Amino acid sequence: MSEALKQSLDLALFWEYRAVLLSGLLFNAGIFACAGLAALVLGLAAALLRLSSARPLRWIGTVYVELFRNAPDYVMLVWVHFVLPLLLGLALRTRIEFHPFLSAVVALGLVYSGYFAETFRAGIQSIPKGNIEAGRAVGMSEALILRRITLPQVVRRMLPEGLNIFISLFKATTIVSLIAVPDLMYRVSMVTQQEMQPLPLYTGAALTYFAIILVVATLLRWAGDRWSRSVLA
Amino acid sequence: MSNWERLVWNQRDALLSGLGVTLEICLLAFVGAIVGGLLLCLVRLYVAPLRPLAILLIEFFRATPIFVQLMWVNYVWPEVLGWPNTFFTAGWVALALQSSGYLAETFRTGIEAVPRGHREAALSVGMSRALIFRRIVMPQALLTAAPSLVNQFTVVVKSSTLVSVITVPDLMFQSQKIVNVWYEPIEVLTATAAIYIALVFSISQAGKYASDWLRRTYGLQG
Repeated sequence: MSEALKQSLDLALFWEYRAVLLSGLLFNAGIFACAGLAALVLGLAAALLRLSSARPLRWIGTVYVELFRNAPDYVMLVWVHFVLPLLLGLALRTRIEFHPFLSAVVALGLVYSGYFAETFRAGIQSIPKGNIEAGRAVGMSEALILRRITLPQVVRRMLPEGLNIFISLFKATTIVSLIAVPDLMYRVSMVTQQEMQPLPLYTGAALTYFAIILVVATLLRWAGDRWSRSVLA
Repeated sequence: MSNWERLVWNQRDALLSGLGVTLEICLLAFVGAIVGGLLLCLVRLYVAPLRPLAILLIEFFRATPIFVQLMWVNYVWPEVLGWPNTFFTAGWVALALQSSGYLAETFRTGIEAVPRGHREAALSVGMSRALIFRRIVMPQALLTAAPSLVNQFTVVVKSSTLVSVITVPDLMFQSQKIVNVWYEPIEVLTATAAIYIALVFSISQAGKYASDWLRRTYGLQG
């Protein structure tokens, strides 16, 4: 038993395969970046729909948000990868297949847009009406008001919650290995099968993610606090 | 016979037994997370010598992705600790670990939100520290923590889909098994997604009503 403990803490094997494993991390980063961007854009759109004055639009926004916010990441990933191409294929009468990378970006982008939509909505609702009315009074268009008055304040207010969503998204990128995107976890399981030694590899992966997320989250929170203070002051 | 009937309705026994396993593992994990989270939180707040260890554990559980933790508990723990010895146990233990980190912080926020004056008042009427914790601090802390607790339960349900990867026969596992037999994923996977979405949605709605009711009944502010 102590032999196993020693082995699980002996990260030499993890180090030996560092090039393979770390290039897997690039896939995590790439999916994180693409899905994060998609989630922000879709989330903002959904929030604007939910706040729209037209009832049908509001209704569509609500259904969209509740659908994706309540869907488990993994279920969504499997659905987008295996069902969505078939449905699109039936509609377009062709054979469609999604590259696993695309499925991962679409699935995570949709799920996390649901979370972002709620954060955007809360942020937009917290803006005093007078600001928007003042913008209209000086003749700004609705788009200009959104860009120059509403969004800058919203971004500041949703920063802490937004960071949390981004951190969850980064953690969620680890499940893309399950549809064969060659990310860090995928490579860990490959090397494990080759070397028949799961202990140091899974421990190494856990420690790697722990370190990355802790460091990045702490830095971002610190930078965000500083920025918010400097803008508000 | 439509595909829905053949692939979903006729497979209802498998899907329902999967749903049962999902609920079972989620409840076990959640109870484990509450116990573990409370323990971590109390150690962090009141046991000074062990505080750094508690903080390290909380941060580790919170900052490691659930899938990585699941693999780690499933492959590494049995070799090092000789436990857990079934996939089911590994599944709920991993889910519980992850949530215990979050709940520890939720409980801490709740405890720290109790005004000092309440504790001082209790001390001045001669209550013991244990009694103060049980009668004054904990009830208020739980009220503050209630919405986050429900929210964390929905996170557990969502994460529980991953235990299918280590062959725990939950809903996701059963539905993928049906897909692998028939090679027709559309109906089964859509139905599965709908069940999960409905489940998580009803939990969060029920939680919203429950915490509103608690707040109204016990006069706590938002």
